[in-house]
Amino acid sequence: MPHGRWLTRNSGALQWRIGPAFVVLVIAGVVVMGSDAAGPPVRIPSNVAWTAETIAMASSGDAFRGSLIGRRCDRCHGREGFSSSPAVPNLASMDRLVIWKQLEDFRAGKRSSHVMQPIANSLSLQDSADVAAYYWMMPIFSDPQDDRAFPQPMSDPRHEAVAGRLINGGDGSRGLPPCQACHGPIGIVIGAPSLATQNANYLLEQLDGFASGSRANDINMRMRGIAAQLTEDERHALAESYGAGVAESGFRYAGR
Amino acid sequence: MCRYDSGSEESSQRVSNSNSKNTLPDHEHIPAESGSRARKRIRVLLISVALICVWVTVRFPYEAESGLEHLLNGPNQVNPQTLHLRGEFVESNLGAAEESGGVVVRMIAEQYLFVPHCVVVPTGVPIRVRMTSADVVHMLTISGTNDEVKVVPGYIVETHVQFDREGEHQMPCREFCGPGHYTMRSRLIAVSLEQFRKLSPEERVNCASR
Repeated sequence: MPHGRWLTRNSGALQWRIGPAFVVLVIAGVVVMGSDAAGPPVRIPSNVAWTAETIAMASSGDAFRGSLIGRRCDRCHGREGFSSSPAVPNLASMDRLVIWKQLEDFRAGKRSSHVMQPIANSLSLQDSADVAAYYWMMPIFSDPQDDRAFPQPMSDPRHEAVAGRLINGGDGSRGLPPCQACHGPIGIVIGAPSLATQNANYLLEQLDGFASGSRANDINMRMRGIAAQLTEDERHALAESYGAGVAESGFRYAGR
Repeated sequence: MCRYDSGSEESSQRVSNSNSKNTLPDHEHIPAESGSRARKRIRVLLISVALICVWVTVRFPYEAESGLEHLLNGPNQVNPQTLHLRGEFVESNLGAAEESGGVVVRMIAEQYLFVPHCVVVPTGVPIRVRMTSADVVHMLTISGTNDEVKVVPGYIVETHVQFDREGEHQMPCREFCGPGHYTMRSRLIAVSLEQFRKLSPEERVNCASR
């Protein structure tokens, strides 16, 4: 045993035995005191910070290369970025920064998904940027040949009025900003996830996740702060209205 | 020659004077040597000013092109892009916390929310509110107080308040910050110190149910 031999060879001097133990004690003390001074553990929602380098990296994707990598995504997210299942997000025309950040969060374990985490782990940063550039270029035109789930009819027509008020006006008494302030008046905007052509079940799952804290990868708690203020009925109404394509069709409920 | 003055007698006299050989009256004559001395003084002065300008330009070059680093390293400065990664505005550090001699409340202003969305503070102790912005300029107003502070990205602002009575205060944004500005509002609830100490850190920043 090399460790034992090292000790026995220096057994004549006491400090050779005490020395290593003392060093270990000091290191342990420093670690304990350091963790004590730091207080509660720091929770970091996402490792992504939108610095100029990150934006340059996420925007540098090659859409052609992304189209080849994206063939692996066809089965769930659809060949044209529209999924056949309402629980899977549509990616067509989604901003490339959004897709890149979510892939990075899946990779770092900041957003959990049994399906997406292994897939994101197999992609490099450049692969993520390429895939993001590909889906960013896909149009949101309707395609009768496609088996997309979007748009889906609403279960309750009253949802449209409830959601329309929140999408366009928000609720100042609760400090709820209108959805369109960030996600765009018709749901398409740069730097925020596109909602105009998003699937209802997926949106509801994300809103519930933000409200309960099971999804917590939003920087500075933006969506968690909003979703926690919404009632369950409002979350249903918002998800179903976006899933039925009311935002895509413009301001037809404005002023109602 | 100025044609508007040509009609008046005075100006015609001046014209005739200027045409004559003796152009200046005696008292306006300046001796030749004193003129050159004055010119020399002015020249020395100008050259020294120019030298000072050159020295200042070389010694203290304008640093605007060198990025934001020299602005973001001071004690009251913070990088708005990395608030969630390090520093005092990470999300587990937001909200009210007791410190020696009072309570400190840390908040982030962002489009279109104050984070945390609701803060519980105790009455009767001095409260230090430390804020920064994650994106654009916002302004924090606390209703019922005379407190209003501009929140500028890149800088930490601090304001001091104290509540003597329990109650709820509104904290709207008072600086136009974008299309969702008019709904940007957070709440502050003042409770007694005993009640405040019973609350868990989660309950101090989450009062959606109250």
